[in-house]
Amino acid sequence: MESASVALGHGHDAEDHHHGPPEANQSARIDRTVLGILLFILSEIMLFGAFFAAYFFLRVVVSPEAWPPVGIELPVLVAGINTVVLVSSSFTVHYALEAIKRGNHRGLKLGLGITWLLGATFLFIQINEYVHIGFTPRDGAFGTIFFSLTGLHGAHVFIGLLLLTFANIRAWRGHFGPEQKDHLGVEVPGIYWHFVDIMWIVVFLAIYII
Amino acid sequence: MAAAIKQPGWYRGAIGALLGAAFGFFLVIGLRALMGLDIYQTEQTGYPHIVVPLITAPFGFLFGFGAFDYWFRWAAGKPTIPDDHSAHGATKWQDYFKFNTDHKVIGTQYVVTTLMFFLIGGLLALMMRAELASPGSQIVAANTFNGLFSTHAVIMIFLFIIPVFAGLANYVLPLMIGAPDMAFPRLNALSFWLLPIAGIIFIASFLAPGGSFDAGWTGYAPLSTGAPFGQSFFNVGVQFAGASSIATALNFLVTIITMRAPGMNLWRMPLLVWANLSTSLLVVGATPFVAGAQFMVLFDRVLGMNFFQFLEGGDVISYQHIFWFYSHPAVYIMMLPGFGIVSEIISTHARKPVFGYRLMALALIGIVVLSYTVWAHHMFVAGMFSWLRVPIMITTLLIAVPTGIKIFSWLGTLFYGKIHVYSTAMLFALAFIVTFTVGGISGVMLGMIPLDIHVSDTYFIVAHIHFVLFGGSVFTIFAGIYHWFPKMTGRMYDEKLGRIHFWGTVIGTWGTFVPMHWIGMDGMPRRVADYASQYGDWNLFISVFAFILGAVQLVFFYNMIVSWRFGPKAGDNPWRANTIEWQVSSPPPVFNFDEIPRVVGGPYEFGTPGARHAIMGGETAAEIPEPKPTTVTAP
Repeated sequence: MESASVALGHGHDAEDHHHGPPEANQSARIDRTVLGILLFILSEIMLFGAFFAAYFFLRVVVSPEAWPPVGIELPVLVAGINTVVLVSSSFTVHYALEAIKRGNHRGLKLGLGITWLLGATFLFIQINEYVHIGFTPRDGAFGTIFFSLTGLHGAHVFIGLLLLTFANIRAWRGHFGPEQKDHLGVEVPGIYWHFVDIMWIVVFLAIYII
Repeated sequence: MAAAIKQPGWYRGAIGALLGAAFGFFLVIGLRALMGLDIYQTEQTGYPHIVVPLITAPFGFLFGFGAFDYWFRWAAGKPTIPDDHSAHGATKWQDYFKFNTDHKVIGTQYVVTTLMFFLIGGLLALMMRAELASPGSQIVAANTFNGLFSTHAVIMIFLFIIPVFAGLANYVLPLMIGAPDMAFPRLNALSFWLLPIAGIIFIASFLAPGGSFDAGWTGYAPLSTGAPFGQSFFNVGVQFAGASSIATALNFLVTIITMRAPGMNLWRMPLLVWANLSTSLLVVGATPFVAGAQFMVLFDRVLGMNFFQFLEGGDVISYQHIFWFYSHPAVYIMMLPGFGIVSEIISTHARKPVFGYRLMALALIGIVVLSYTVWAHHMFVAGMFSWLRVPIMITTLLIAVPTGIKIFSWLGTLFYGKIHVYSTAMLFALAFIVTFTVGGISGVMLGMIPLDIHVSDTYFIVAHIHFVLFGGSVFTIFAGIYHWFPKMTGRMYDEKLGRIHFWGTVIGTWGTFVPMHWIGMDGMPRRVADYASQYGDWNLFISVFAFILGAVQLVFFYNMIVSWRFGPKAGDNPWRANTIEWQVSSPPPVFNFDEIPRVVGGPYEFGTPGARHAIMGGETAAEIPEPKPTTVTAP
């Protein structure tokens, strides 16, 4: 990020000795942006929590005779393959981060690129699953909660992909470096991506397995 | 003109809003065409052609207004424009209508905007009191009345009490901890600008066919899923207000954790900082639940989903669980920052250290933890699991313990203090202790299941909530505004007008809300435009005092506006307080400090000769006198 800055507005008068605010004291070891994304993820977990609460109310408290309802077959195999796709993308984004920490720009680009492709594959397979699944969000409480939970997660994958797109663009332009402050643009989307990944495992277990 | 359109600002914002609305509209049409539906069909409560633009138009406005310019450049891999700080601070009034990233400007924007909403919400309340002045129908129809109390509550909660605390803290908190600004200044500005958007959406619901949302601020399903179109405005508006408060809370947490001045460890933080730390923990953890609940209602309404449709296997009670899992912590979101304000004021004006400082901080954390465990006491009569009642009653009564610790600590601070009541801020803080204690005790009563069943949905509930929200939160807001007014404006308000405002508010509050306890115990139901004639006398009494309460607020607004412009210069530290924000000039310099201060002691060391909280930049160590040992004598 630093290398990307262009010098503007540095032509102040000599009398204006306030060139900006004083540097803030760093009172915790953790970086601000990293702490910010972690807290954001906490609130995201609670948003998923609201929908999981609805899920267990519909499934356990209302206690329908059959869950999923008779006549609905979930494509567990397809979703399982999709799980493998998404989980492996967590490893590739970690590889990208480790690469840039050692100054390996080729590894960074490779890792980020593959992660992006894996994420896009996941979304593509999920949309395909939606098209062929044979029921809609309007079909009973099951249809509602199935599409809400997987859709909410899909929206998060989409946002994660956007962040990864930005990281990819900047990686190709060579904007990242081995110092932590120079690769926050990889680290922060990476943390978010891990969250999206882990959340999928929870969604997958809740909806497809148990 | 062409240049004005390219620059971020109101022109580009207006164009962005129009483009955003058009995008949303055609997105709906396109998706409907893709799915083989009628491209333009407005279902009974659905109206997706309006709901989706209601979400996209504000984003269009924010794009145009310049909220995302920096992030867009970053995302596109372009060189980002380094902040030359020319946009920092405000030199003329127009600067307050810009996307400004200075925490002090944002704080002022917050306080002024939310006070506007306070005025609107108050007018809605007075219309209700006019209707209720005598039995039968006076000025509004029963349906309109439902809309009035719903919008009154929503505006007061989401657009006044929660954000005004965020505004006050935005102004003073970075100064208090010795930080040059908040951790994420652009996010901070964005969270402010989401707020008027939410307000416009709520108020625009009056224009919707079928009137404004009228299912109460709670919006219980299935009342809300079957309500007329205005309800969707509530569902969408809450998302914007909620996103705003989550973003602010995140910003506070990161600022407090990572940007404290050297030497300011956790036990040297002023209690206002502790209070905002705890509030922010609640907001980040709980607010997503209200967002989730309103999303579900919106999905039921617009997409025809079945979260709360009993016949389709939905669960009606789950709405209340999810909603109250946010909305009970929300009452502490509306109270904890006020606790912080009162601690600052009482300690300063009693010239004594806060009694039991550490316990005060721990009590805040205790409230945070417990408040996640008490949501179902709003649902004792809802038909929820009967086994949940007693555990929830126990936790509800337990939460009175940390709250009681705080009240006794304030009393302990006052005990043998040199109490100065020359300041309206102190008067409000003292009145807060009394009024809030009464409201807190009726809260403990309501925690007990048998009594709760008896007074459910009566005016007793209305009395309780207004004693804690008006007599509690709003009193602390007034106290905070009076206390920091000299710091924010550099001028002093008129104490005489402040006293008129204070006594009028106290008398108005007690006159309005005390009789509500009695008629509530007697069984007068809330949220109804008409009532049995036996309650007529008390309701007239209440309405008279409500109008006194409303009228006296005009004195407050007059005092604030005129003193801001013409008040006498206040000086840097009129209250002789110790915390860092009082050690800088009034109003503070654009970048707060030339040099970050060093914190060397606790924030409330009144009465200890030579004790210092902070050493400001520019002071040399030689100027700092050594603390003199003092002999402690029994009072």
